[in-house]
Amino acid sequence: MKLQTQKTDKNFDAARHVCGRSQFLDDLTPPEGTLYAVVFYARAAYGHIKRLNTSPALACKGVVAVLTAEDILQRGGENQIGGIIPDEPLLAEHDVHFWGQPVAVVVATSAVLAREATQYIECEVEPLPVITDPREAAAQGELIMPPRTMECGNVDAVWAACDVVVEGTAENGGQEHLYLETQGALAIPTEGGGVKIISSTQGPTAVQRAAAKVLGLPMHLIEVDVLRLGGGFGGKEDQATPWAVMAALAALKLNRPVKLVLPRQEDMRMTGKRHPYSSDFKIGLTKDGKILALEVSFYQDAGAAADLSPAVLDRTLFHCVNSYYIPNVRATGYSCRTNVPPNTAFRGFGGPQGMFLVEAAIYRAAEALGVDASAIQAKNLLQEGDTFPYGQVTERCNARRTWNDAEKAFDVAGIYQKAHEFNASNKWHKKGVAVMPICFGISFTNTMMNQASALVHVYSDGSVSVSTGAVEMGQGVNTKIAQTAMTIFSLPPHRVKVQTTNTSRAANTSPTAASAGADLNGKATELACEEILKRLLLTAREELNAQEHDSIELREEFVHHNGAKTALSWNNLIQAAFFKRVKLSEQAQYATPRIHFDKTTMKGHPFAYHVYGTAIIEATIDCLRGTYTIDNVQAVHDFGQSFNRVVDLGQAEGAIAQGIGWMTMEEVIYSKEGRLLTDALSTYKVPDMHSTPRMDVRFLEHSMNPMGIMNSKAVGEPPFMYGIGAYFALMNAIKAFRMGTGQIAIKAPMSPERVLMALYAPLHEPQLTEISHEA
Amino acid sequence: MNVPITVTINGTAYTRDVEPRQLLVHFLRETLNLTGTHIGCDTSSCGACTIMLNGQTVKSCTLLAAQADGAEIMTVEGLATDGKLHPIQEGFWQEHGLQCGFCTPGMMMAGVQILKNNPNPTEEEIRHGLEGNFCRCTGYHNIVKSIQYAAKKSAAM
Ligand code: FES
Ligand code: FES
Repeated sequence: MKLQTQKTDKNFDAARHVCGRSQFLDDLTPPEGTLYAVVFYARAAYGHIKRLNTSPALACKGVVAVLTAEDILQRGGENQIGGIIPDEPLLAEHDVHFWGQPVAVVVATSAVLAREATQYIECEVEPLPVITDPREAAAQGELIMPPRTMECGNVDAVWAACDVVVEGTAENGGQEHLYLETQGALAIPTEGGGVKIISSTQGPTAVQRAAAKVLGLPMHLIEVDVLRLGGGFGGKEDQATPWAVMAALAALKLNRPVKLVLPRQEDMRMTGKRHPYSSDFKIGLTKDGKILALEVSFYQDAGAAADLSPAVLDRTLFHCVNSYYIPNVRATGYSCRTNVPPNTAFRGFGGPQGMFLVEAAIYRAAEALGVDASAIQAKNLLQEGDTFPYGQVTERCNARRTWNDAEKAFDVAGIYQKAHEFNASNKWHKKGVAVMPICFGISFTNTMMNQASALVHVYSDGSVSVSTGAVEMGQGVNTKIAQTAMTIFSLPPHRVKVQTTNTSRAANTSPTAASAGADLNGKATELACEEILKRLLLTAREELNAQEHDSIELREEFVHHNGAKTALSWNNLIQAAFFKRVKLSEQAQYATPRIHFDKTTMKGHPFAYHVYGTAIIEATIDCLRGTYTIDNVQAVHDFGQSFNRVVDLGQAEGAIAQGIGWMTMEEVIYSKEGRLLTDALSTYKVPDMHSTPRMDVRFLEHSMNPMGIMNSKAVGEPPFMYGIGAYFALMNAIKAFRMGTGQIAIKAPMSPERVLMALYAPLHEPQLTEISHEA
Repeated sequence: MNVPITVTINGTAYTRDVEPRQLLVHFLRETLNLTGTHIGCDTSSCGACTIMLNGQTVKSCTLLAAQADGAEIMTVEGLATDGKLHPIQEGFWQEHGLQCGFCTPGMMMAGVQILKNNPNPTEEEIRHGLEGNFCRCTGYHNIVKSIQYAAKKSAAM
């Protein structure tokens, strides 16, 4: 069906947000008698628990209970929340594996009293040697799973044919999600020994499943409900689960509602972040810059438990060629167990780390060939029909188109020229420019997760209710889902309500992640609405005594017969259908077609489609202070046929800011003892008002995408990776100051501290002395 | 020992006994159920809890409720009057100055202060005025535009 998408340029929640009337978890009025839970966590990164005495806390004012792993075992539950690999207890039992690991939960009449009481818990840990470095973990055989390799062509056979072969290393740091709303949940006991959990999670089913396991209950006794999130970014995909399950455990033990909301510092200390990687590469090229081979070893810092790390590592392998066609690739990933909180999903999900690596390799290759990296990038862009290392062939490939359009639209040659002139006439300020093409695959890399369901009701008054598995966290997914229903029924916004995400209405949901929330749930909504529409049109046909070949359609709340508006309104049509006992509800499931992937060969067709784009990033550094500004980001981005430009542009801008943050100022630092040193906003710097550059993001024209909802493309993650360009723009500015002397280590984030050190690092020393951090 | 306080919030006077260590933001959110003011960091860094106290923006996570005794407070719930949006609210709505909406109430209060100090601020002045407020979703540009919209709108009123 060809439809004109129902236009709305507003996020449906905006009106409530600006009045302070939209509700977040912590805003709900807790039921009478609600108790408050506070987590007691380990103050050692690795060791045996020698003694745990909670009774002094239990004796404190207001305290009702102190829960430990014992309480789980007592009720016949399993102390296990690991999603992919069962290696993560909800509450530490015999050992602790990271500083900040939950050990006990104190429940009291107020959060203040509960928190006070945690100080009196006695927990003695016999320390063991702590590992915070992924390479060290790998050397000691501390791997989460056996290494994974993705391979195409024959790298070994090709090195000899290369004119240049360059080897090197690249490192990237972690990143704190810093969703502005911290983690939290409210659990309310329900009859029959069940529990309703209101959770700030991206994965309601993940919460339900883990709660069932820990509580020893069937999933149907657990209802999870999500209203909206104050940001997620992946940090609430799996890591919203522990708090929800702890609240549920306490609620069932005490038969009282229990609320658990993490304060910021505890949230930062207890939850995992984007994965730091340390990687080795070897890249081979012809003398005119054609890449023939790439060999990579990724050392992923997984933290103390698997969490989502294996899946994140897969995506790193998938994206280690970014937008380039490389015929011979061998990429191996090591998921390394260290003693920091389990690192987890974060916008891009391993993709950014893969792309950073290949850009680093190209950067070094460009140095060896004496050209700008953009010359090599341009030469190797993917084309229609090229095969990715994982066996998928490009379709509707827009890599070159976005590159060419950006070159033209923003006069890239002119930008380089101006930077050059600026550098020639300024001694203490230098500019750097970098181009950053991106190619990002859309679909969960785990094929079975690419499904979603929708439940649509048309009520007898003509109002429409839509329930799906998608979670609204600011990305506008509910707006897009409502637009889908509005478009199919030709209704105005006030007629359609997207309901809370609830496991009783949408079962077995995939988390809202991988940028796929709107695609999957929107498609399911489309299917359900179309079924209802079919029945409604049949009713209309009968009501109007229309002939078989007459056209009957809905337009702006009226039935149109052979193109002419009739007196049969939407409301009357619904009434007529209701009286005729026509089914006014529909549940539909959508499963992304065509995708498949074989994990043993690491080959298949894992992605429904790819998103492309090209950005040009400019930076200026102050060579006396090491401070800098990222001046400008200009991009041509492939949104497909965007059906909400305002929402999509907002996503792109926010993603770019976050990507630049990751590459420049955001630095997660653990002490050698495994304690997080950047555990507050005063020590962890995120982009503020002044640090986001000017942005000009243009829509690639004529990009169609039948695999996306209404021909659009997923937008949440891909633009994040333009931020990588900021890193290389800074490298180029530093290089301009050093006039090409010495080699600067590739290590992100490029904080002002690192810039300063790189500016003045000794001439012939390729590696910088590392900054050391003591607790 | 609890202390009695009286504060006027969005035009209504409230007299309550408060625990002397209770933070103003908790008093607003928990005692009075005015949950539009959010908590993002607990340590006066993020600005999500920004309110107006006696005509000046303050971070309500940094003050005790007891310190607000006798004060006039405005929160996000008091911005709209007679069912009509304040220009700053219209700005954030029109210019898509929000995504998840969590930072929005604090951002809007900071915006009100900027326009109070200077009805016609430059972009630089707006950014300066928003230094204490973080947004993790938007990249800030639409927030600046929202405040510019409000400035224009107020000037036209
Ligand atoms: S909560 Fe008050 S400034 Fe962050
Ligand atoms: S809109 Fe989410 S933090 Fe600003």
